[in-house]
Amino acid sequence: MPRHALKRARLVLALLFLIGLTLAFADFRSFVPASASHALASVQLVPALVGLSAGSLTALVIAAALALLTLLVGRVYCSVLCPLGILQDVIARLGGWLRRKKQFLPFAPPQSILRHAVLWGTVTAIIVGWSGIALALLDPYSNFGRIISTLVRPLLTAANNAVVGLANTLGFQGLYRVALPWAGLGVLLPVALFLTVVAILSVRRGRLYCNTLCPVGTALGLLSRFAIFRIGIDQTACTKCGDCLRSCKAQCINLRTGTIDASRCVACYNCIGACEDRGIGYRFTWKEKPAHANDRTGSTEPKTNLTAGDSPRRAFLASLVSGVAATSVALNHARAAVSSGDEATPALVRSGEASRALCPPGSGSVAQFLDRCTACHLCISACPTHVLQPAFLEYGVQGLLKPHLDYRSAYCLFECTRCGEVCPYHAIDLLDLATKSVTQIGVADFHQSRCIVELNGTDCAACSEHCPTKAVSTKPFRDNLRLPVLDQSLCIGCGACEYACPVKPVKAILVTGRSRHARAEKLVEKKAVAPTATGDFPF
Amino acid sequence: MNTRRDFVKTSLALGATLSLANVSGLFAADVTASTSPAAQAEPGPKPILVAVRDGDRATMLDKALAELGGIQAFVKPGQTVVIKPNIGWNAPPERAANTHPALVARLTALCLSAGAKSVSVFDNTCDQWQLTYENSGIEKAAKDAGATIINGKDQTLYREVDIPHGVKLKIAKVHSLVLDSDVFINVPVLKHHQATLMTGAMKNLMGIVWDRGIWHRTDLHQCIADLLTLRKPALNIIDAYHPMIRNGPRGVSVEDVVEMRTLLASTDIVAIDAAAAKLLGHAPATITHVKIAHEMKLGRMDLENIDVRRHKLA
Repeated sequence: MPRHALKRARLVLALLFLIGLTLAFADFRSFVPASASHALASVQLVPALVGLSAGSLTALVIAAALALLTLLVGRVYCSVLCPLGILQDVIARLGGWLRRKKQFLPFAPPQSILRHAVLWGTVTAIIVGWSGIALALLDPYSNFGRIISTLVRPLLTAANNAVVGLANTLGFQGLYRVALPWAGLGVLLPVALFLTVVAILSVRRGRLYCNTLCPVGTALGLLSRFAIFRIGIDQTACTKCGDCLRSCKAQCINLRTGTIDASRCVACYNCIGACEDRGIGYRFTWKEKPAHANDRTGSTEPKTNLTAGDSPRRAFLASLVSGVAATSVALNHARAAVSSGDEATPALVRSGEASRALCPPGSGSVAQFLDRCTACHLCISACPTHVLQPAFLEYGVQGLLKPHLDYRSAYCLFECTRCGEVCPYHAIDLLDLATKSVTQIGVADFHQSRCIVELNGTDCAACSEHCPTKAVSTKPFRDNLRLPVLDQSLCIGCGACEYACPVKPVKAILVTGRSRHARAEKLVEKKAVAPTATGDFPF
Repeated sequence: MNTRRDFVKTSLALGATLSLANVSGLFAADVTASTSPAAQAEPGPKPILVAVRDGDRATMLDKALAELGGIQAFVKPGQTVVIKPNIGWNAPPERAANTHPALVARLTALCLSAGAKSVSVFDNTCDQWQLTYENSGIEKAAKDAGATIINGKDQTLYREVDIPHGVKLKIAKVHSLVLDSDVFINVPVLKHHQATLMTGAMKNLMGIVWDRGIWHRTDLHQCIADLLTLRKPALNIIDAYHPMIRNGPRGVSVEDVVEMRTLLASTDIVAIDAAAAKLLGHAPATITHVKIAHEMKLGRMDLENIDVRRHKLA
């Protein structure tokens, strides 16, 4: 096999995933089919784990497959499937071009304390019921999604809008202008800050982020150290020329000891391609002890770190056991939250009470939604009306950046289930249309004292006009007027009435979210009868 | 752009350019407004209202147009035509929430056969516009017939114009297609409406303005009538094949629809709405905007002063 073959194959696959997911998140015109977005997102590790906690068999298969893949050939995930990893490679390469000088990243010891602290901190957060925010902040896939959805999508939309005029003048009618989807500062700033940190780290230190701050990277590293096939150096062929070192973005090749830290190697295969002497490559390492990055190197790595010194196998077992324990505790916690109400609900959304932040139909309850959603923003990009907007503090701190229905921007389209179609997590379950159309995510309240019809004595009924279930209809009022009348049992809380209500500053019809979704009644009427004799003209 | 100052300068320049563009838009609109048909009922022969029954939509349209002097009476070779159907709701044709695609397609084909330079179709939809265009069936039908489908949700395509003869509506952002096209044809569907009891030809024109909220806040019926003083359609065609007679204008299911197999056509937008009101069992004067428009002499709701031509095709 040519020495570049592995790297090239990895590169092609990685770019396919990166481009696919970028298109899914940057999609401002619903170009990408929901099934494709869903499929690309579902093979990500954290979505699979969340799906697993929700009891999904598909998620179990995906999570198991990813674990086995890592146990077989190392952290291929980080270089092929993880969009944030590949994005860092792209940024680092761009940075390299700008610098015009080849960067040399020498071997560096692992930041073991930091990376394990982040991993176990995340696990602890899951155990104590902060899975929602911990995963939202740290899941690489979700962070990537937010970068593209909140930063790239508006720019792409603006670019589209800028060329529409020209395209139409030239007779090409396929383009049209789309409203710019900028999020508020409370959402933009955290996302921009994260991107800045990741960009700086990747330009200066390659995959340092993946090997220190990313819990997914660290967790996979626990497995990859024991991979059946690991990349190793053939001491008989190695001339210690350092080409592999120069190509390594993980700084994990220790040429002095001739070892590679498999826990940090992201399986990019750059080194294999770089080595003209074929001195580096996959080796069958079953039953072989994991190499130690800092063994016998006299590195500055403190001896207190979790992997150094004592048996790596013991460390691995400890990790595994606590990981399983953590998962089961988290599962129990999730179940408890589902079965006994909304204890985990933030202060804004008190147990069993109404909440002002609305979560999408299919998410069951605000508590369950906040537990499962990691704010990847795939649904926000896919929502055709853009009623789904990233929250700032609407749900409380735990709901930061997670989607909520914002009836100032739009309303939830009655015949649409797209958020459920794309969501990889079971945070938004896919409802069939019949179920969705009676799923009550909130209930409207009509305030007659603020209504135009009452105040001005003129017709309006914009609310009733838009109501898809006829929870809002009208009745005769005063002199030849029609006043809105509300039947809450029919209301699904879609927000069409609130969006349409023209009253300022506070609307006369407002939807209050339900912390736990319910089932609305459905209006069933007999066939309408013609008001006049239908055989002839009534004039 | 290197400095904050540069950015500010560029932004200001851009802003100035945009506001200038708006000003020129205003002037253009003024020209349109002043050259459009006067807001007064003209003396002379009675306006014609054609009512056709019991055919398919295309056949009834052909019959109605023949009675009005053919499509050539409205569309001259080389003219630009804008067709405004009702494409308000994300509902399939059988729900009758929108004008039927077959009617839009036939009308498009007729305009093109008369030598129209272009036929454009748009609506400022209520539901999400791409899905509404698609699921109404109108996008495909109109495109297949040769029309250009235009985005009704692109604010840059609307221009603010004065409405000097409006009683309460003095200013509105109107779609440039309506302001600039040579021929303006109004093709609504007849439906029940929760606020106005009926939506027909006059109410359909709410879809040519950007901000309807102002209308709802101000005085819905008066604003509907006021807009007619800007530009009245050259021709109105009402699709009353299967009107939605309750839960309008959106409707809940096909059960809201009754079969009437009727089509109305007239150059008088008030007369056609008066006849439409009667189809739904209302006295024309009970539809407030019809009454106001009649009183403002924008047309006639007293059908006895209209040349009504009735045709039964079966």
